[in-house]
Amino acid sequence: MAPNQKEALGQPAALEANVKSAGLGQLVVSNDPAETLIAYGLGSCVGVIAYDPTAKVGGLLHAVLPQHRNGDANLAKYVDTGIPLLLKEMAKLGARKANCLLYVVGGAEMLQVAGLANGFNIGSKNVQMARAVAEREGLRLKEVDVGGNSGRTVKLEMQTGRVTVRTLGRGERTL
Amino acid sequence: MQETSTFAGVQLNSILERMAVLAAEQAAHGLSTMLGRPIRLTVPRLSLVPLCEVPYRVGGPETEAVGIYLQVQGDLPGHVMLILPYQDAFRLVDLLFEAQEGATMQLGPLERSALGEVGNVTASLFLNAIADATGLSLRPSPPAVVMDMVGAIIDIIVIASGAVADEILLLEVEFHGPDRTLEIYFWMVPAQSIADADIH
Repeated sequence: MAPNQKEALGQPAALEANVKSAGLGQLVVSNDPAETLIAYGLGSCVGVIAYDPTAKVGGLLHAVLPQHRNGDANLAKYVDTGIPLLLKEMAKLGARKANCLLYVVGGAEMLQVAGLANGFNIGSKNVQMARAVAEREGLRLKEVDVGGNSGRTVKLEMQTGRVTVRTLGRGERTL
Repeated sequence: MQETSTFAGVQLNSILERMAVLAAEQAAHGLSTMLGRPIRLTVPRLSLVPLCEVPYRVGGPETEAVGIYLQVQGDLPGHVMLILPYQDAFRLVDLLFEAQEGATMQLGPLERSALGEVGNVTASLFLNAIADATGLSLRPSPPAVVMDMVGAIIDIIVIASGAVADEILLLEVEFHGPDRTLEIYFWMVPAQSIADADIH
């Protein structure tokens, strides 16, 4: 899905000033201290946040599947191709990989029914892939909030680099 | 709905609409039998919705909702998901339990089970109608009920379809009870193989 589709879809982000949201298979980057980057309702998807506190450049990837499939032009849909793309887009705004702090959020298992679970451990595969790519890229994995059976909304405040995770019934916490 | 819309290669304005009518009749019969009083179902609209747009049709990705999920096996494998924002789920439980509107305020095990059963009956009978019309075998799994943010619920069908389906079929189903009507969104997602299946 093209990044420019989100305006057309009338995402709530469009209504909220200074919020950039990443939908399924999208990534957003920013160097504007007034902005907040958000991925709403991550289930088995993972949100990968990178933040360079020196340059005050941040990015958020909302990846769906662990591994890229041949022929798919949307690299942001996959963890393994999405993270390098995220770093590349952030570099354009002046971020340096060596400074970046990485956060991985999401990767829950949403279905807990015996017999239905086959092929549904995508959540943990997404998280594993994010860890592997972080190591390969030599990134500092600052914090993770992954697994479990609940959806999460993750936010990055550009001004402070503060990352918060909201879960239904458990409120919001700062990573 | 666009005239040219197709779902799994089927013209939406022909076969699927007829199936939907048939399925609604069957599902209504099943539900009425289950509840011991008449419930009528209609499917006023069928449309194709881009997957990324689905959360916004159900109130936004952070909306608290109930998802009732069934996996379909057989000749036409795929997935069926009913998504109800909490408020609609409460109203549906009220309708099912013949309670006053607004009586249900939370979803305990009994309410969840009732919602699961509605999903089960509705989806199974819908699938039966398709099976009857095509001669294909379709076997739904027991229902799984998930309560979470819409975005997280959508992930289930996104992953289940291998993230390959760009569009999913939306059935706007109306439940008509003796004294009220409720509209519920009913989503169908093909597994990749559905797109290759030969339906006449």
